[in-house]
Amino acid sequence: MNIIAILISPLIALITGMFFLGISRKIMARLQWRYGPPIMQPVIDVIRSFSQMSISHGSLFDFGIIVSLTGSFVLTLFLPTGELCVFTSGGLIAFIYLMLLEPLGIALSGAAAANPNSSIGISRKFLLSLAYEIPLLLVLLAVMTRYNTISLVEIVKIQESTGWAIGSWTLVLPGIAYFLILPAILGVRPFEMVKATQEISSGPVAEFGGKHLAFSILQHALHMFIGVALFVDIFLGGWTLFGLLDPLSGTLWVVILGIIIFLFKMTFVLVIEIFINAVYPRYRIEQAMNYLLKWPTLISFIGLIIVVLVK
Amino acid sequence: MSLEILLIIAFGGAFLVYFSGKISPNLRDRFAVFISLLLVLIISCLYGKNIEKTFYMGFLGIPLVLRVNMLSWLFAMVISSIGSLSVIFSLSYIRYKEKTDFYYLMLLLVNSAMLGIVMAGDLASFFIFWEIMSWTAFFIICYKRGPALAAGIKYIVLSIIGSMAMLIGVLSIQTRFDTLIIPELSAKFASASSGYILFILITFGIGFGVKSAVVPLHTWLPDAHSQAPTPFSAVLSGVLTKMGIYGFILFFYFILVLNQFLGLGSDVFNLHNILCWIGAITIVIPTFIALLQNDAKRLLAWHSIGQIGYIILGISIGTSMGVASGIFHMLNHATFKALLFLTVGAVEYRTNGIRDLNSLGGLMKKMPVTFIAALIGALGIIGVPLTNGFVSKWMIYKTLILNTHPFLAFAALLGTWGTILSLYKFVHNIFLGQLPEKLKDVKKAPFDMQFSLIILSIVIILFGVLPGIPLKVINSIIGSAGFSTLNISIWGIASETGTLNTINIFAAILGVGVIVWLIFKAGRQSKQVDQYDNYAAGFAIPKDKYHYTVEYYAPFYRMATPFLVDIFDIIYEKIAKAIENICDCIRKIYTGYVGNYVMYIVFFMAFLILIQLKWSVF
Repeated sequence: MNIIAILISPLIALITGMFFLGISRKIMARLQWRYGPPIMQPVIDVIRSFSQMSISHGSLFDFGIIVSLTGSFVLTLFLPTGELCVFTSGGLIAFIYLMLLEPLGIALSGAAAANPNSSIGISRKFLLSLAYEIPLLLVLLAVMTRYNTISLVEIVKIQESTGWAIGSWTLVLPGIAYFLILPAILGVRPFEMVKATQEISSGPVAEFGGKHLAFSILQHALHMFIGVALFVDIFLGGWTLFGLLDPLSGTLWVVILGIIIFLFKMTFVLVIEIFINAVYPRYRIEQAMNYLLKWPTLISFIGLIIVVLVK
Repeated sequence: MSLEILLIIAFGGAFLVYFSGKISPNLRDRFAVFISLLLVLIISCLYGKNIEKTFYMGFLGIPLVLRVNMLSWLFAMVISSIGSLSVIFSLSYIRYKEKTDFYYLMLLLVNSAMLGIVMAGDLASFFIFWEIMSWTAFFIICYKRGPALAAGIKYIVLSIIGSMAMLIGVLSIQTRFDTLIIPELSAKFASASSGYILFILITFGIGFGVKSAVVPLHTWLPDAHSQAPTPFSAVLSGVLTKMGIYGFILFFYFILVLNQFLGLGSDVFNLHNILCWIGAITIVIPTFIALLQNDAKRLLAWHSIGQIGYIILGISIGTSMGVASGIFHMLNHATFKALLFLTVGAVEYRTNGIRDLNSLGGLMKKMPVTFIAALIGALGIIGVPLTNGFVSKWMIYKTLILNTHPFLAFAALLGTWGTILSLYKFVHNIFLGQLPEKLKDVKKAPFDMQFSLIILSIVIILFGVLPGIPLKVINSIIGSAGFSTLNISIWGIASETGTLNTINIFAAILGVGVIVWLIFKAGRQSKQVDQYDNYAAGFAIPKDKYHYTVEYYAPFYRMATPFLVDIFDIIYEKIAKAIENICDCIRKIYTGYVGNYVMYIVFFMAFLILIQLKWSVF
């Protein structure tokens, strides 16, 4: 069971992530009255890039992107995908820290490329993540304090009995705050300044080509998956759906149906994010920081105070 | 091996090194390394021993006691190992400078004095060693003269204020309890009133707070750390600031009984709650001030204050995991901060003293070992999994969250994000990006420098993957302080409310990493290009100008600079200025003309005669 889970959860994450990239391009195209590329296009891109020759700026340039992709895959092992969760060691705190490997890897790789476009992109990435981590940490602390656990699996399990976190009045404010910062976590349009194709030539990945580019697309796909999955796990009850699966409990069907429900919820959240992406222009980094440090932070701060007072 | 011989070797060795330097520099270097390694060896032999030895030397009739237990063993081990690595690093760093003998003498004396502090079994010898440490450290901080002298004076003034406060505490304890021996004191303090305990804790707390640079007593640290010779900065930040922490632990959990410390004050204004909040402030503000710095050593110095905040937070939370995490973070901070300072030292040595983060860059390919060491140090201080910083920080967060202190946990986590930003800037601006033309001929660091860097890097990774090794020692320390011990295996901490298993994380990262690497290898071989073969939208790349380092986080600087001011430094400077002005006014009396002095005498005599004539008092 465990070995199957180790193989399956990264695979699910990868396939879903690539699917997300595909449908996001398709939906964007349809919103702009275009036909759009086929949904398989990102997969085709990855395969094509992988077979092409790339340039390398030295071993750190290769090492960084490997670390980044490794970090993303490791995160999928620590994340409850449906009822599958391979590792639970360290709980949500370890998860927050493991989330560092992705940006650090890309940052090392991009900086080793010795291109100022990359450095500017990385500097923006770190500033943006500082700005969204402040509300995000408040949100996660509110959840951990409310449920009195640091385990991600526990958090989902508690929601199975008490209902979705976003539906409970104590955690509704942190839930809203998380939803407000989700575009920044995913790096979609109002907060797209890290890549900013027209401005700094794709930022951190400016020098990537060939297999490096293929790896960075895979990493981006996994990042989309993880960002949305964490929201679904913490606030939308993970694999649970109003006790629909209760009669089947104990069978393999729960696991399979749980994953399907989980992916369905994720797709729903993602489509909303794509709509936001479609209508907004790009913020500048100062505007993004101002926004993130104002409303989401305020809401999540009030949320945390409420949680502490209730306890 | 008895303890007095250890201290005699430490102090005597320092002077022997000094005099051997008069004969030949090579002999001195070998001797200094030998002495410092010998101390490490002797101390590691003392593991697990509980020795206490009293000397009636008749010093003011107070018996002097030396002792060693698990707590002092751990600190002594940190002192001697970081000390010896710093001596080894100094070999190249200081060789062709002046007053080298004096430098080694002071460096070894500081280490010996710190060994004395942790092995002192009574407060009188504790205070004596404390003063030796303060003064010898002052001499090394001032080693470079010029601005270093100002930094040193700032340090010693605050230090003297701290030790005078401590002296008041020592005298008060002596007159009240008639003993200064630490094990006896804990019995006497059991019956003391809480007001008196508070008084003692404040007097000693000022002394310890100054040394460990707790906000608001931190202002000496950024100047002193950045002006001291770099191998000593490693000792200063890695070990010397930890003496304050040692004092705090000693007073909170070994002189006072556990519940006595936690029960001081009312429910809301509890002493340990207040200390927790001081720790939180010490984390957040200095970490973000560090983000604004452009001098590599000053940046690290501000981070030292920030990391001390984590330690204070850990030890004052007062649960077994909290105290364990504080002690563990003390150990970890000693390793990674010493490592980071030493990498700056190596860079400084090879680039003729450039420390300005804006004028370096691209040194990764020139100094690969130094770069990897700096990266590991940076990952350690950030607390990325598989480094030792992760384990201790995980323990602190877990304690805070499960004890319902989410705001303290938020401060701690926020500090981590500030650390990421500034340490990335540190690594990027020195080692990554374009290599400037002027640094084209930089050579890699000499072997004795690399040796210290490699050892410290290995320790960081080792304690990160197998945290059970240090935690076993820490477990017996908190056990002897009366806490319930933690359930520790070699690779983690088990508990009902969340288990940490580093081997899981290690296996996952290693396994996935190997697979990803193999897939990467399977792709087409990539073409190696140099830094000028780069994307520039079709233009030729201008040399020395295609580099982004100055104002690395410019938008943040614009937003945050008005808020990130070191208020306490400004206040202290104002007080110092006011005192200077008053003294200046008084000094105006001394004009230097004999005639004026005769006039003063005549006036004074006349004044006395007047009094005598009028009231006839004399």
